Amino acid sequence: MVTVALQQTINGVVFGSLYVLVALGLTLIYGVLVQINFAHADVVTIGAFAAYFFTFAFGGNYLISIGVALMVGAALGWLVNAAIFAPLRERGSELLPLIATIGVSILLQNAMLLWFGPIPYAFDSPYSNEVIRLWGGTFITWQNVIIVVVSALTIVLLYAFMRFTITGKALRAVAQDRETAGLMGINPDHLIMLTFVLASALAGMSGAMLGPILVLTPFAGTTVIVKAFAIVIIGGFGNVEGTIIAGLAVGLIESYTTQLINPGLTDIVVFTLLLLMLALRPTGLIAEKREETV
Amino acid sequence: MKRLSSSGHPALAVRPERGWIGRRGWHVGVLILIALAPLVFQDSYWRTNLIVCSINIMLAIGLDFILGYAGQLNLGHSAFYGIGAYASTLLITKLGVPFWVAFVLAITLSGIAGMALSIFAVRLRGHYLAIASLGFAVIVHQILLNWISLTQGPLGIYAIKPPPEIALPGLPSISFSNTANMFYLVAGFAFLFYLLLDQLVRSPIGETLAAIREDEVSASSFGINCAGWKVFAFGIGSALAGAAGAFYASFVGTLVPDAFIITESFTILAMVIVGGMGTLIGPVWGAILLTLLPEVLREFGDLRLVLYGAALTLVVLFMPGGMVQAVEILRARVRRSPAAASGGMRP
Repeated sequence: MVTVALQQTINGVVFGSLYVLVALGLTLIYGVLVQINFAHADVVTIGAFAAYFFTFAFGGNYLISIGVALMVGAALGWLVNAAIFAPLRERGSELLPLIATIGVSILLQNAMLLWFGPIPYAFDSPYSNEVIRLWGGTFITWQNVIIVVVSALTIVLLYAFMRFTITGKALRAVAQDRETAGLMGINPDHLIMLTFVLASALAGMSGAMLGPILVLTPFAGTTVIVKAFAIVIIGGFGNVEGTIIAGLAVGLIESYTTQLINPGLTDIVVFTLLLLMLALRPTGLIAEKREETV
Repeated sequence: MKRLSSSGHPALAVRPERGWIGRRGWHVGVLILIALAPLVFQDSYWRTNLIVCSINIMLAIGLDFILGYAGQLNLGHSAFYGIGAYASTLLITKLGVPFWVAFVLAITLSGIAGMALSIFAVRLRGHYLAIASLGFAVIVHQILLNWISLTQGPLGIYAIKPPPEIALPGLPSISFSNTANMFYLVAGFAFLFYLLLDQLVRSPIGETLAAIREDEVSASSFGINCAGWKVFAFGIGSALAGAAGAFYASFVGTLVPDAFIITESFTILAMVIVGGMGTLIGPVWGAILLTLLPEVLREFGDLRLVLYGAALTLVVLFMPGGMVQAVEILRARVRRSPAAASGGMRP
């Protein structure tokens, strides 16, 4: 029993840390722009396919493929901002960019479906079958070790970047008040672009790591993104610490639900939690001291 | 608070009474078109498309009422559609309820579900409601998928009967296994719902909703119960989705949970946006275009959804008022009157 619980905890942390990576991207964009980016899902998927083709079609190293996916993600982030968010920004609507990115998402998914076909790709990372045995019969694959270590490193780096660099400070300033930040000589356009590139780079690399542990189809990103939305809300939109806690929590909850109740019920549990959270504490786990402008 | 609708709503534009035909005239014209359609399209393929089209119109105008008129960002319309379809079917097959009773109950249930979600989410701002409704749609889909003893899960429910024959004294009985009759039934209801919403949005209720959508704070300072009206709009819109679901089940004859995945919500959203959000006629055009155009382009294979995505993105970027706006611009250009050109679009 303890073994099972431990094993599920490990699995929960593995998935949770990837959810955190995806959700952090969403929350960064939301923090700076107060916009939802649905195409984030497809950045994850395209990242996964980029890593797949890099490793299998070109015989590249899997670890390097994570970096490739990161670059691909960054490029896509730049594109999504330049093509969708930047032109729509002056209209100042909450709704239009959201709908436009839903359109982009439908477009990309079905273009991928035409291109790659509906049959799941077997993305066998060379590290998926090598196992480290731990105490009492629990184990962890090298793939999962890579996922946790790379995610943790990325999160720490990102956090340090936001806290300690001038650019990170400027980003937080833009998130707090775009106009005032502009008056202080910060160019919000550049920082918004930077946010998209950063956020999408995270999504791309998480795709590369999700590929081997998920069913890789053109719709792989969607299943993750829907959970990432839940995480972003549970953690409090735009709140980095809350997102990290909520992401790990959702990973663990999923993992325990799978073991204790029924694998089919994970989404129901997660989203019921989301709705409860919205009803009881809409500001998220960690209430933010940001003033609401009416 | 950033307003949902600051993109400019064609609904706000003063709508002139239509020239020499008048509104009544248009209604008669539409009825004639409905009457003629199955006679023109004799093969079951095109009749099927027409029926699907009518169902989509119901879905699109219902969503538009929530989204375009009440300004509530609902991404979970597929859930209400699914609730209607499964509720009516299960009531008929498990409890032996007559079709029309089940139909009314399904509409009621979908409406109540919509109102429940809305009450739940009434404090939430646009984006939170979007995610909450998305989450609601995921939950409903997963319940349909996993409550196997009730819904048979992914195996689906088969051999659902069409609505029962109507036998009027002295006339031959009307069977709905005939696609022409089924089309008359569904299109008739779609038209009825359109008239209903048309009356609603022209009434003071429509103005109240517009006031809430444009500026909730000012609206409530005029003594408008914003929460109440939002719940009302959500209830009406999702009730229509319930009706569409009941017709869908009885027409298609099979139900699987995957017919009501969140992608379906996005498809309905595309119809509303491409047609013209915040007008009633827009979503009708959007539903017709996005249902029939892919059938015309069938030889291009699975391009259907690629087309949806592209249409949705391009319309938002370049013509946020949708087809309605495009028509207004064209009309203005024909008349060469620059004043009319600004009527459809308020940037």
